[in-house]
Amino acid sequence: MRKNSAFWLQCLLALALVTLVFLVFRTTQSNLELLGVQSGFDFLWKKAGFSISQHLIPYTEDSPIWAALAVAILNTLLLAVFCVLLASLLGLLVGIGRLSSNWLVSRLSLAYLELFRNIPVLLQIFFWYYVALRALPSLESSIFITDYLVLNNRGLYFPFIEFANGFSISPPVMGRFAYEGGFYLMPEFLALWIGLSLYNGSYISEIVRSGFQSVARGQWEAGAALGLKPVTVLRRVAFPQALRAILPPLTTVYMNMFKATSLAAAIAYPEIVSVFVGTVNNLAGRPVEVMAVTLAFYAGVSFLVAWLMGRWNKRVTLRGQ
Amino acid sequence: MRVVPGLALCALAFLAAEGARADTLSDVLERGMLRCAVIEASPGFSSIDANGRRYGFDIDNCRTVAAAVLGDADAIEYVPINPNTAFTTLQSGGVDVFPGGATWTFLRDTSLGLDYTGPYLYAGQGFVVRRASGVSRIADLEGATICVAQGTTNEQNLADYFRARRMKYSIVTFADVERGLNAYLADRCDAFTTEVFSLAGRIVALRNPDEHRILGEVISKEPFSGLVRQGDPRWRDIVFWAFNSRVAAEEFGLTMSNVEDMRATTEDAEIRRFLGVEGGFGQQLGLRNDWAFQIVAQVGNYGEVFARHFEPLGLERGLNALWRDGGLMIAMPYR
Repeated sequence: MRKNSAFWLQCLLALALVTLVFLVFRTTQSNLELLGVQSGFDFLWKKAGFSISQHLIPYTEDSPIWAALAVAILNTLLLAVFCVLLASLLGLLVGIGRLSSNWLVSRLSLAYLELFRNIPVLLQIFFWYYVALRALPSLESSIFITDYLVLNNRGLYFPFIEFANGFSISPPVMGRFAYEGGFYLMPEFLALWIGLSLYNGSYISEIVRSGFQSVARGQWEAGAALGLKPVTVLRRVAFPQALRAILPPLTTVYMNMFKATSLAAAIAYPEIVSVFVGTVNNLAGRPVEVMAVTLAFYAGVSFLVAWLMGRWNKRVTLRGQ
Repeated sequence: MRVVPGLALCALAFLAAEGARADTLSDVLERGMLRCAVIEASPGFSSIDANGRRYGFDIDNCRTVAAAVLGDADAIEYVPINPNTAFTTLQSGGVDVFPGGATWTFLRDTSLGLDYTGPYLYAGQGFVVRRASGVSRIADLEGATICVAQGTTNEQNLADYFRARRMKYSIVTFADVERGLNAYLADRCDAFTTEVFSLAGRIVALRNPDEHRILGEVISKEPFSGLVRQGDPRWRDIVFWAFNSRVAAEEFGLTMSNVEDMRATTEDAEIRRFLGVEGGFGQQLGLRNDWAFQIVAQVGNYGEVFARHFEPLGLERGLNALWRDGGLMIAMPYR
């Protein structure tokens, strides 16, 4: 009987929710009509008419707006992937460093943690962008890391595969205003990559540390007693067990980091908020549709990340626990 | 998952419902305050002085409408916005008028649910470069990196211009003019582009304005017009005629200092109608008959307003001179 009433309550709630969403949708639609604001997604097929400096797929001003959206989404994902990789690496190293018996290593790790965890990430990004940008040399006095890896205040240039005439590798060549040819990472990308990775790496380091500390002391001792090298104990004995404690909170950090890529809009990196919510919304004047697409993108990717991490977590969970 | 966009739509729906009312004049009179949207920190257009008072060309636009409607040029509640939120704020009823440098374009006029009230300033998109770069014409910018601000027609103008001439360029797009200019100053870009009036204001305010050069050419027409919500024709008329009155005052030779005497002594029938001595023109708009007098007495004529804010920046009247002086400013007649 109780079970039955609970079921009907659920049904009622679902119905109320659907009605609410429907009503809101209808009201918005009719209000927009009343205001004379055009609505609909047809603008996605119009010519974009603006340029985007970093595009991983072919894009020109003549491309449709959906292509600009695709460029922006790829730029967002590129940044997110780079950040996840660097932050994870930093987090792992610093997390293990915190547990090190070497006084200097553990103190340096602690200093890193306290410094980067306690400053708002937006300020860190501004720091790397405005301070580091001014510190970098201009075109004429570029830093040559190697002959083909050039750093100046316009970005980091490196040779890249060129598909124009068959298949060749084009190195960066100095032009009048900038290096041309090859590929380059814009300073905006570098600032975001460094800023977001350092900030989130500090959180990951704590997760890693707590993960390793959750492994029973006996496990370490047993490994040592078997005559395994400390590194092997770490990799083969402690890490697989620590992973169980690490994965669930790590998912949260990854998702936060992905969403924090939207801070890029503050310093001109062409990701989805900057390109779509900024430029496209201004050109097309469809705030409701633009926001809906953007929200759907963030929600969709976050959901996907959570799902993938959930599956990974299931695989490493101890059976019977 | 479905709830998230739902809630956003919900918020927008409520905002939209608020905006659907269409008697702005009654709302303003009832409130006793004009809600005017301003873009902040734009030298020449909108700044705050040492005493915390707002001043600038945009601010005087707000004051013009307030003087006409409320008889008090300072009965204004300023609503700071940025170019990205300007249209949405106006659509949703957050402000009564936006006189802050929106270019009148076809697509905005037909798709935004907003009405333009008539051009009050003719500008154009220009470039600033470092003198040391040796760039003296736009054509020299082939291959250059250019910083630009969003929320304007700047990005499109830039793309159209360079593409039409098959010039290569690289663009860095910032959320607002302030950040874009800062990045240019940090040598992130070879040039910064925006509308020349605000560009001149910002360059003059730099510590070392002589190191920079504003190129003589512009790549676009930027007729700035006031904006109001669509569907309230009386309010649109009021804002249009309020701006028109400043130009008319200049044509009539009325200034802040002589308008009081002129009202008492003039024999000219059109000026008498304009200043509300006869004809009852204010009532036709739902305003007091001295509406235009208040504009001239409290804000000044168009030339005075222009001189007050743009002459210190070294800007000339150019297209914004009266029609009889070779410019585009012409007042619709008061009859």
